[in-house]
Amino acid sequence: MTGLSGAITPAGDAEPLLSRLWRAATDGNRTGYLLIAPTVLFLAVWFLWPVLTMVHLSVRAHSVDGVMVEGFTLQNYARLFATDLYFRILLRTARIALLTSLVAAILAYPLAIAIARGTPSMARLVTITILAPLLVNVVIRSYGWQTILNKTGALAWVLKGLGVSNPPVLLYTEWAVLIACVHVYLPFMVMPLAGAIGRIDRAVEEAARVAGATRPAMFARITLPLSLPGLAVGVSLVFSLSAAAYVTPQILGGNFSPLLGTLIEQQILTLNDWPFGAAISTVLIAMVLGANLIFLRIVSRRFSRWTAGA
Amino acid sequence: MNEPLNPFLKILVVIILLAVVAPLVVPLLMSISDTPYIVFPPQGFTLKWYGEVLANPDARGSFFFSLQLAGIVTALSLLLGIPCAAGLTRFRVRGQEAVLGLILSPLIVPLIVTGVALLQLFAMLGSRATLLQLVIGHMVVCLPYVIRSVSASFLLVNRDLEQAAAVLGAPPHLVARRVLWPQIRPGIIAGGVFCFIVSFDDYPISMWLADGEHFPIPLFLYTVIERSFDPSIAAIASLMIFFALLLVLVIEKVLGISLARMTN
Repeated sequence: MTGLSGAITPAGDAEPLLSRLWRAATDGNRTGYLLIAPTVLFLAVWFLWPVLTMVHLSVRAHSVDGVMVEGFTLQNYARLFATDLYFRILLRTARIALLTSLVAAILAYPLAIAIARGTPSMARLVTITILAPLLVNVVIRSYGWQTILNKTGALAWVLKGLGVSNPPVLLYTEWAVLIACVHVYLPFMVMPLAGAIGRIDRAVEEAARVAGATRPAMFARITLPLSLPGLAVGVSLVFSLSAAAYVTPQILGGNFSPLLGTLIEQQILTLNDWPFGAAISTVLIAMVLGANLIFLRIVSRRFSRWTAGA
Repeated sequence: MNEPLNPFLKILVVIILLAVVAPLVVPLLMSISDTPYIVFPPQGFTLKWYGEVLANPDARGSFFFSLQLAGIVTALSLLLGIPCAAGLTRFRVRGQEAVLGLILSPLIVPLIVTGVALLQLFAMLGSRATLLQLVIGHMVVCLPYVIRSVSASFLLVNRDLEQAAAVLGAPPHLVARRVLWPQIRPGIIAGGVFCFIVSFDDYPISMWLADGEHFPIPLFLYTVIERSFDPSIAAIASLMIFFALLLVLVIEKVLGISLARMTN
């Protein structure tokens, strides 16, 4: 019967073959492994291996007058923490990442509430306006802030119009880096928050309102604590992204407020000091991993206590 | 039912949204200024900066190179990512947690570190194949997004439908094409589009691996911002913003995926 249909329609030839392939691919215990193997192999070779090599490089060798010396050393780390200039950059990176997370969280709450609790058209408007900038290259978004914060920029013009005689020039300061980082990473705070707020049972809000809670009280006692899981995700995302930012601090901070990313680039591309660059990279990884663990752990513990009785 | 927000909150939201849009609108205004330097408010009206940019062969070259790179990266990421997502969601795989951890870890390790680590590896291997290096670097970053999006759609598949089709006599390949494919297609398109955008916009990986012959558009934009001060930068910025708006329209209207779904 198969042979007959195969003889009549040429396309029928492919049928048994395809069926056989499909069955071979869907039966048996090995299939799952075969399907994921190429990706696992790819990431092991092109991600895990290079990153681990990098970490290894930071403790393996140090250079004396440009000559590599073999052996275990913590000298590269000592240099990062003991040199005032480098340590200040490390602190600045942590400060900017923390402040960016904080400011983004404050700005994100009204937006997230509008998305989760506003009318459908409102929610759609806010979502699109928040997400669309993600499609604009980060170089362009940073440049946009340059045109605003410039000496002859839009902000100076507005301030002059408001009667401020000597408007401050924010470009190439830490403030400019902070403002632009908040702008670039805000979507990563708003979306998880909106998700968390959307999941809050409305009956809880209704009960609070019936019991006479004011709006601020409702926010402090219901929305804020129940949205903590979303906040934790948002904060760990924004902290990680802004700690590792390169383009934005480079365009808005210039040479006056570099972050760790700029330091890595300088050490490796300009000074060719790979072991030191590797040490800074490792510290940056540690900082991001640490922040993720802390934010997600603390909040999940507190949150489980809150919901334990429910 | 959702109700109108209270007016105070509404005003707050409008102010924040204006600040979000401002850095995208101001370059548009400045790009038509008939002055040899950037100034706000713009003075006069000219489109000559746009003409200058469009005639610039370097700008065009970088733009088309980035399109080509993102296309290759998307195709290869889907080729690896779709089977992987199927394997993770439809089969019992031991050590699944560890595999998921590996797949998502490129999203946690700072991109700039992934980039420099790859540069080091390629130097160690003595590689000079820049295009291949860029493709590999971008794929490392894109794969997590593709696999996450496609896995999500595999998990949503209603397997009763497949069984029903099989019981009714549909051969497996027909079940795959007519029952499974329509259910996972949106996830694959969303993953592919997001992959394309991530590759097209990447800076921190490309900055280590690119060379003068293979110079993606984000790197080109950065060098222009560093070097020149006339409104032609604003014109380039405006063109890129129009390009992004076009993308939003294509994604939402033509492909029918909401931005919110794609980026989550």
